[in-house]
Amino acid sequence: MQSTGGSSSSLPCAVSAGLKAVLPGLPGLTPARDGPASGCGARAEPRGSGFSGLSTAKAGRNKPREGRAPRARGIPGTVPPAPGKHSDHRDPPARHPSDRGAAGPRGQPERLRPGAAPAARGTRPARRSWQGRSERGAGAGAGGRSGGAAAGLMLPAGCGRRAAAALRTALGEGAERRRELERRAARSRALLWRWDDEEEEQPQPGSSTEHEDRPSPKELEELELLNRALEKALKVRKSILKTPLEAQGATGKKWAGEAHAPKKAEEQQVPVPVQDIHECRKVRAGSKKPLLLKKPSPYLLRAPYRTDPDMKKLQQKVPARCVSQGPRIAGKITSKGMTSKQGRSHRTATGASAREVCAAAEPWETPGLSESAPNEQQSFSGGGSTVGKNSIADGKQLLDAGKKSCGFLGESSKKEDTAGPWERSISLGPGTLQEKGCQLKLPLSYRKAYSRNSRAWQRCRLYQTSADAAAARTRFMERIQTTFCSPKLSLSPAEIEEELRGLQDVFSHLRQYVEAEPVDPPTLQGEYESLLTLEGLQSTVSQCLQKLQLLRAALESQLRLCPDCIGDVGSCSPACVPARGQTCDSADMLAVPLLYYSSLQELRDLFALKLQVSMLHQEIAIQKVMMAELLPVLEPRPFLEGSAGLFRAIHTQLCEGGRHFPVLVRDELLD
Amino acid sequence: SLDFWRLLYVLLKQIHGGRWTESDAIGAQVSFVKAVLWYHGYSRPQLQRLPADGSAGSRELLLAFSWLLHSLGLLEQLLARNRVQTGDEASVCTCEDELPSSQEGPGEAGAEDRVDVRYLQWLNGRLRLQWCSLHAQHQEHCKLLHKIHLFTSGSHMDQNLRHFSVTETDLIRQPENCKQLLQLLESETLQLEAFLEWKQLEAVYWQWMETVLDNMAEEGNMCESQDADVEKRRLPEVTSSCPWVDKLTGQMDRLSRDLLALQEQLQQRVAQRKAAWWEKVAAREELQKERFCATARKVQESVELKLGGLTSLRAPRRNRMHGSGRLVLRSTGAASRAGTAACAQEAAAAVSAAEVLAELQLREASLQRELQQLRRECRRRLDGIVEGLEGVICVSP
Repeated sequence: MQSTGGSSSSLPCAVSAGLKAVLPGLPGLTPARDGPASGCGARAEPRGSGFSGLSTAKAGRNKPREGRAPRARGIPGTVPPAPGKHSDHRDPPARHPSDRGAAGPRGQPERLRPGAAPAARGTRPARRSWQGRSERGAGAGAGGRSGGAAAGLMLPAGCGRRAAAALRTALGEGAERRRELERRAARSRALLWRWDDEEEEQPQPGSSTEHEDRPSPKELEELELLNRALEKALKVRKSILKTPLEAQGATGKKWAGEAHAPKKAEEQQVPVPVQDIHECRKVRAGSKKPLLLKKPSPYLLRAPYRTDPDMKKLQQKVPARCVSQGPRIAGKITSKGMTSKQGRSHRTATGASAREVCAAAEPWETPGLSESAPNEQQSFSGGGSTVGKNSIADGKQLLDAGKKSCGFLGESSKKEDTAGPWERSISLGPGTLQEKGCQLKLPLSYRKAYSRNSRAWQRCRLYQTSADAAAARTRFMERIQTTFCSPKLSLSPAEIEEELRGLQDVFSHLRQYVEAEPVDPPTLQGEYESLLTLEGLQSTVSQCLQKLQLLRAALESQLRLCPDCIGDVGSCSPACVPARGQTCDSADMLAVPLLYYSSLQELRDLFALKLQVSMLHQEIAIQKVMMAELLPVLEPRPFLEGSAGLFRAIHTQLCEGGRHFPVLVRDELLD
Repeated sequence: SLDFWRLLYVLLKQIHGGRWTESDAIGAQVSFVKAVLWYHGYSRPQLQRLPADGSAGSRELLLAFSWLLHSLGLLEQLLARNRVQTGDEASVCTCEDELPSSQEGPGEAGAEDRVDVRYLQWLNGRLRLQWCSLHAQHQEHCKLLHKIHLFTSGSHMDQNLRHFSVTETDLIRQPENCKQLLQLLESETLQLEAFLEWKQLEAVYWQWMETVLDNMAEEGNMCESQDADVEKRRLPEVTSSCPWVDKLTGQMDRLSRDLLALQEQLQQRVAQRKAAWWEKVAAREELQKERFCATARKVQESVELKLGGLTSLRAPRRNRMHGSGRLVLRSTGAASRAGTAACAQEAAAAVSAAEVLAELQLREASLQRELQQLRRECRRRLDGIVEGLEGVICVSP
């Protein structure tokens, strides 16, 4: 479980850093003439425009500084300034998202995040902002040093749009897959969670009488400790958040029964609630693995993940899954996002729940609070830093307490477990699917249905058609095929398609062979071998060409029979294009093979490789579109002054997959 | 016969992975069925001449249906396609799905006339980002799957599986879902049993079809003469305006261009090599020839072996792994132990992940090559453009 949390969080980090890497990478394309100052201004503005509030302004200001840093480093090393008027070169701002994610500055991302989020979410608004920016860039250029720089980066309408559409389609498809995957992962995650929860739940509702009287001495002691620590933390918080505390929202009223008019402090909090929810959720996840909690910094790093709306939904769901009362209340409050009143409501909530319900609530509750304290302090940066530190220290204390009680809980449930009906030795932590999984039994009805079903499949698969049936069948098939108007052995369109695909495959192998052939083999024998190979390849190529001719002819003759070209010529209905029926499942359709894997690593490799393959597939398709669209832009026209940027951009896109930039040096000897 | 058209439409639509709705116009349904039949090579003129309103032709349709039954394995395909999933499956085949063709958003068109390259770059960056996050998601998913498999090992009554899938584990958590799944499973079982029953009566069915065909032929003789006229009139109208044909011919053109280029290149190299070879052979003494014959034969054999892979490449396409398989965790020790027992009673194919991995690696390598090739071509052309420029040097990264 814990490691799960780790992986899901390391991803978003790379993602957000990657996003950042992508965004600042682009300004690097504007010609150097624009100068850094104006470039920054232009860069900061559109991003900020989508937002209001404190953090955005900060983001806007922070970003360019950060984006520039690597560039400044890069320039002196790579290319010496050209002797001419200007040299338009940049260091690649970003090699690869994930690389950058690992290496890039980590402290900043979550502050920048709010700014980056909308860009990631919707294409349209983001696009507008780009559009806006380039216009602004052009305007600045006209007013300032040189015009037409941005105009040089524009593509003609048709091809640009088609290229963009191709990319967008790919994006849409990917998003679809992500959603699907997320859904599935959430399901399995829930399964793994559930056993945890159940372990804790079982003792609570008092289903087992032996347990109800158990949480007496030691647990209560812990509880007391926790409560004291909580109060302390609240005091500290109050001292920091005097103003925001007045802004009590609806939930606060409900829970604390206090009527405070919401004040304008709210607008300050706009970015905060989101963070807070996540912080809480994270802590909750973490409380299963106290180790993670030790250092607050990992959380901050994870923050970028919050951008994802899907994830957010999911995270909000999680608290609800916690079965014990206390966390549920707390979950509600926090997810309402009223940070400032958390202090009070927390107290009431915990105060109420602590005594009545159970200790389980506490370890979860408290870290959430302790986390939120430094967090808020960050956003209301006016507060004194020493106080903040105090609160962090307090938080640590709480954490320790929480951990202890966590451990205690664990012990108790362990105890219960050994005493309970499951008589098993437990090696790992309590409350996992692991210990129960082995004893789980599927419902009897399902087991019956399942075995009946699989037996039926088995019988279907193994069924042998009787000889006379087969004979009658072939007779019929032959007879009906004599009535066809196509020549007897001609290929059907489906077969043509299939054959063509095969030929393409052969071709790529052929090319590979040709490339692998040494140009100058060292030995006589090698030379002979190479000669023979080349000759063999040659004959294969001509075979392929012949085959292609046949296919062409077959297609021609099939087209003559195409039903939709009979009646209304010209308006070919979409029906004419049957989507390729899965040609791939013809072999043994009634069997689902078992796919054995032996280790987690193997499973991961499998999926990684599958993704890699489909990614390459997509990349190739995009590359083809781009080639068709972008190359003609550059080829016909005499190269214009302003289009160096365009050339560079297209070069990047086509030859490097957007990963590296070429350097263009103007080599003019003017004096 | 209207219902028959609709039935075929629905069935074929399922096979071709499309979504069907009851409300589709009957004309569209009819033409779809015709097109699909054409696509699979069913070119019976009588069928294609049926009216588009679906008012006639139930017997023709019966014949077509029977043809599909056997040539496509219609029933088997449908059964397999609608199989109730109880396991965690992963596709094992390396065939690629066709990518959805990109279409321009309608609102997009008029709004901005020109597109900033940086917008493209930005999109590209986002795409790569998405790939990264997809990767991470996959990894997480794997971890979860593995955990569930590991933790429930030994629980499943099926000795080949031995552990639950996500669905099955979920079943225990939420028994209320059980009912639904049970219903599905049971109805599937019924279908399978019906299929078996049909299989037993298959001979009768085909004999009946033959009589249908006989009847049709008798009636058909009468209007044969008119058909010939129609036939002739139809022939000249070969207009390939549909995108499928365009795509196919485009692919063919491209392939033949590439093949021709390769042929030319090969011709050059072979000629070169031959010349060099004869020179060398002439220079060497004839007496070496004796000894060389042996090595030459060996070389010939090895080359044949090498290229043998190429020619056989197209044959085994059929028996490659396809579809998807249920993921089963099995440690290597257990595999060898249980393997023998499983193989004996189970005809179902069992694939090991290692095999799939190997195949995927091959596929990846070839795609990688293709991409590199495309990029090389781009570089070549862009270099050509830069050369046309005065005073600009392009330093590739």
